[in-house]
Amino acid sequence: MLPQQSTATLFIDTGSWVQQLHPFTKLSYILLTGVTVYLGLSGWKYTCLFLLVNAVIVASARVLKQTFHTLGRIMLPLLLFMIPIHGFLYPENKTVLLDAYGMTLYQEGLVYAITTLSKLTMVLMASLLFVFTTHPADLITALSHAGKSPSLAYLLGSPLLLLAGMRERIETIQSAQRARGMQTEGNVVRRFCSLAPMILPLVIGAIVEVEQRSIALEVRGFKSTSAKTSLRILSDSTVQRLARWLMLLTGAAIILFRLIS
Amino acid sequence: MSLSKRFKEDFTTTTIALMSIAIVINIVAGQLVSMLKLPIFLDSIGTVLVGLLAGPWAGGLTGLLTNLIWGMITSPVAAAFSPVAMAIGIAAGLCAKYGLFKTWWLAIISGVIIAVFNAVVAVPIRLYMFGGITGSGADFITSYMLALGKDLFGSVVVTVFTSNLVDKVVTAVLAWSIVKALPLRITGRLPRAKCVVTAA
Repeated sequence: MLPQQSTATLFIDTGSWVQQLHPFTKLSYILLTGVTVYLGLSGWKYTCLFLLVNAVIVASARVLKQTFHTLGRIMLPLLLFMIPIHGFLYPENKTVLLDAYGMTLYQEGLVYAITTLSKLTMVLMASLLFVFTTHPADLITALSHAGKSPSLAYLLGSPLLLLAGMRERIETIQSAQRARGMQTEGNVVRRFCSLAPMILPLVIGAIVEVEQRSIALEVRGFKSTSAKTSLRILSDSTVQRLARWLMLLTGAAIILFRLIS
Repeated sequence: MSLSKRFKEDFTTTTIALMSIAIVINIVAGQLVSMLKLPIFLDSIGTVLVGLLAGPWAGGLTGLLTNLIWGMITSPVAAAFSPVAMAIGIAAGLCAKYGLFKTWWLAIISGVIIAVFNAVVAVPIRLYMFGGITGSGADFITSYMLALGKDLFGSVVVTVFTSNLVDKVVTAVLAWSIVKALPLRITGRLPRAKCVVTAA
């Protein structure tokens, strides 16, 4: 089977300036965002400013539509659960906002729900920016350049290529076991009983292959520590390197400040 | 044995290849379970297996990477829970190390221990990042506990533990039976597998 050309990830190829950035720069941005949101600034003014700035970055990366689509897909169920549950049931509820049909909506719970949701939206937006604009191969290249060991890069990269084959294998096993009379419908007990005949062949088959895989890797000099030339060239600049350090130092400073105060 | 030497022994090429396969198994096992419409996730069976076959460090790393890759292919929310997956792998590895995977009933106890580890790490993340709600069916348990007058922390603890207990026990027992069924040729290559197999 030929290796799949398209990757299984959420990456979208737009060729924008954000995509050209070094993966580590974008990762430090997520880290800084997380630290700032959860330990540093709070208040709706910062939230609005932050969301606006991020929306501009996302738009200039030409993934605005996809980002909002995914944000909606993730945040909508959370919103639908969080607003009523905390609005009605948050333990520190005191101030009544609305009282109708025997249900009471409280202010504290609503504020808590909205604060949590907005923090989550901010972190999610930064992470989506990374996921949408980083080709997995770029991340893997960056990782293998950074560390001497190719293991981590292999562990992040190979599952993406193995996924499709494994999914096909599940279907093969399922039809084979069905042909032998396994029931995949019926009550819970019956469905539980058909779990083992599905999962055991899948996993054992995969583990038996591990031996061949590791021999193949060894033969190709997997554990060799000599420098290897890479087909992909990552663009990195002094400015980016400085920005990365600055973001990491700011994050560390916020954590330190929080620990002291 | 020095730490770096032990590390080298834990991360042989065979182990690396095993971990990469385990990550894929974690991701597709969930698909299999949803096909059978079962009320469990089974998304840590690969992690537990690596914990049994290659030790707690390899198991923890497998869990961590599974959720990070998940974050890249479906939604970054999964990445937020990567420390949880890591704790599961470490717990499984430690249980195996101390002989808690020798028989099927010991595997059940290990499943409970893994569920406890899972709750210890998952509860703070769920509480501080998600306000106790994750937009899934388990939220009904949380809201029920809140309606009974429990505080948010207690409600989330109950929710996380109950919704994971059956899943982790089934995962542990399945992982035990898989290691038992592996041919000696394979387990011989994985030094840690002795923790599980020699009891027979």
